[in-house]
Amino acid sequence: MFGVARAVVGRSSAAGVLRVFARAQSSNALTKTGLPFTYSGAGPSTVLYTSQHEWIAAHQDGTAFVGITRYAADALGDATYVELPETGSSLEKGESLGSVESVKSASEIYQPVAGEVVEANAALEEAPQLINKDPMGDGWIAKIRIGDASELQSAELLTLEAYERSLKEDQHE
Amino acid sequence: MLLVRNRLVPALRHQWSIGRRTLGQQASFDLEDGDEKYRELNQMYVDMFTPKAADALSKAEGLEEKQKISDLNELNNDMNCLLNVGYPKLTAEELRKKVELPGKFILQSLSNNPYFNLAVENYVFTNTPLSASPELSFANQRLLFYINRDSVVIGKNQTLWKEVHLKTVQERGYEVLRRFSGGGTVVHDLGNVNYSFLTSREDFSREFFNRLIIAGVQRSAPDIALDLNNRGDIVLGDRKVSGSAYKIARGKAYHHGTMLIQSKLDQFRGLLKPESIDGVTWNCNSVDSVRSQVQNVPLESVQQFIDMVVEEFRRVFCSDEVEDIPVFYCDEDVTINGEIREYMTLLESDNWKYRKGPKFEIHLQSGNYSMTVERGIIVESSIPALLGWSFQSFIDGISDFKDVDEKLIT
Repeated sequence: MFGVARAVVGRSSAAGVLRVFARAQSSNALTKTGLPFTYSGAGPSTVLYTSQHEWIAAHQDGTAFVGITRYAADALGDATYVELPETGSSLEKGESLGSVESVKSASEIYQPVAGEVVEANAALEEAPQLINKDPMGDGWIAKIRIGDASELQSAELLTLEAYERSLKEDQHE
Repeated sequence: MLLVRNRLVPALRHQWSIGRRTLGQQASFDLEDGDEKYRELNQMYVDMFTPKAADALSKAEGLEEKQKISDLNELNNDMNCLLNVGYPKLTAEELRKKVELPGKFILQSLSNNPYFNLAVENYVFTNTPLSASPELSFANQRLLFYINRDSVVIGKNQTLWKEVHLKTVQERGYEVLRRFSGGGTVVHDLGNVNYSFLTSREDFSREFFNRLIIAGVQRSAPDIALDLNNRGDIVLGDRKVSGSAYKIARGKAYHHGTMLIQSKLDQFRGLLKPESIDGVTWNCNSVDSVRSQVQNVPLESVQQFIDMVVEEFRRVFCSDEVEDIPVFYCDEDVTINGEIREYMTLLESDNWKYRKGPKFEIHLQSGNYSMTVERGIIVESSIPALLGWSFQSFIDGISDFKDVDEKLIT
């Protein structure tokens, strides 16, 4: 799977086109070995996606991890810098959580549900390429405390299946 | 226009001041008198700017005066062309409607203020609507052109002091800006034109627009062989003529870039820092500029380039459904609103310019100084007194540190 994804990245930077990624199907699932999954013994209670290619993995205790999807990471290409949120900042849903710079593009990341940033993934300061290596695991961007868990019920948040379906629709346009 | 104003202004000012003094010193029933003076003044304006009245005036004042005025008219026409005075500019309200409604358009700024231009770009980007439904393909592409007066523009995630000889830049009167998009540092002047192509995130590709530019120039000027290098930049021969940067947010993306046409390249020397300077060590994860040799595209004017790209843009995007893509103009004096002003204030602010970049460590060999800077503030330092200072104020006061070689860092 990993090899396939990298091959796709290579091809995309050569062609410069974003649309070719839906083939890397299940790679938008959370990495089972990364902190966003292992934070609680049973794993996250729910993993949801936004149309802007963020994922949120929420755990029973109200803690959640946020990152960008494999599709987005592949489309952006090699990350050179990740702008992280400040710990302690309370962000409304849709506010900027940070940004990823790759190959001269600054791409904004948005808070999927309102909450307070408990921790930013400092590993990304030293190694922004983690975003490309494991965007669904070790490349998580922020650990947040969700303000209101009912926001996870929002129709704007997609299941993995619905998210990947939306990627296919984009491709078939 | 400008010339006429120059000649008129001293006379006008004189009249104004007399009028005002009269009003101030005399009782209010003398207002009639003041009104008369203003009417005279108004009439004078009308006379000067109405061709017929100007004619009548010249007849009355004789042939010599007429000659002067026709010279003036000619000069005025030239100035009009130069200053684009004749171009209809959108009001802020008109711009808002164009931006918020669906559809493609081209917008050329007549302002050379880099803060205004980057703010307008961000305004158009932020307020352009997405497709009405996800099934419909995006149809609201926009293309902007703007020309900035002398400016050095760094990428969103760069370390200002690492990229730019700030002191030289300021001494030579260049503005320094941090833009909203990624990428490296570029220099703008009036011989450089900036283009900005806005599309959807899904349709965005890094090379699309540069290929459109190359095709457009090729069509109009076949002897100018522009090409793309392996970084997606436009080159002429082995030299770069354009630099690109991109921004992606909320379902949309833009690709903007510079295009050197008649830039005074010799004056760019000494503004940007080389990759490394002996005696200074930077430890940071900010985005580095890729230094490249540059040259101008041999065209007659920046406008000629704009016209070529407009033509090609229409060729690519006009269709049965889109018969024409209009060109609009904007300028700082009429096309300004609260949101654009807000972006200008942000771009001008010290917070954005000096405190936005990534955390860094710097070591200066002379004096053996080390410091760590986070969000523009010195948080660790081998000189304890500097803790809590902004890094910029350390730079401003660098001459107080006798053992530091200023040239290394300013």
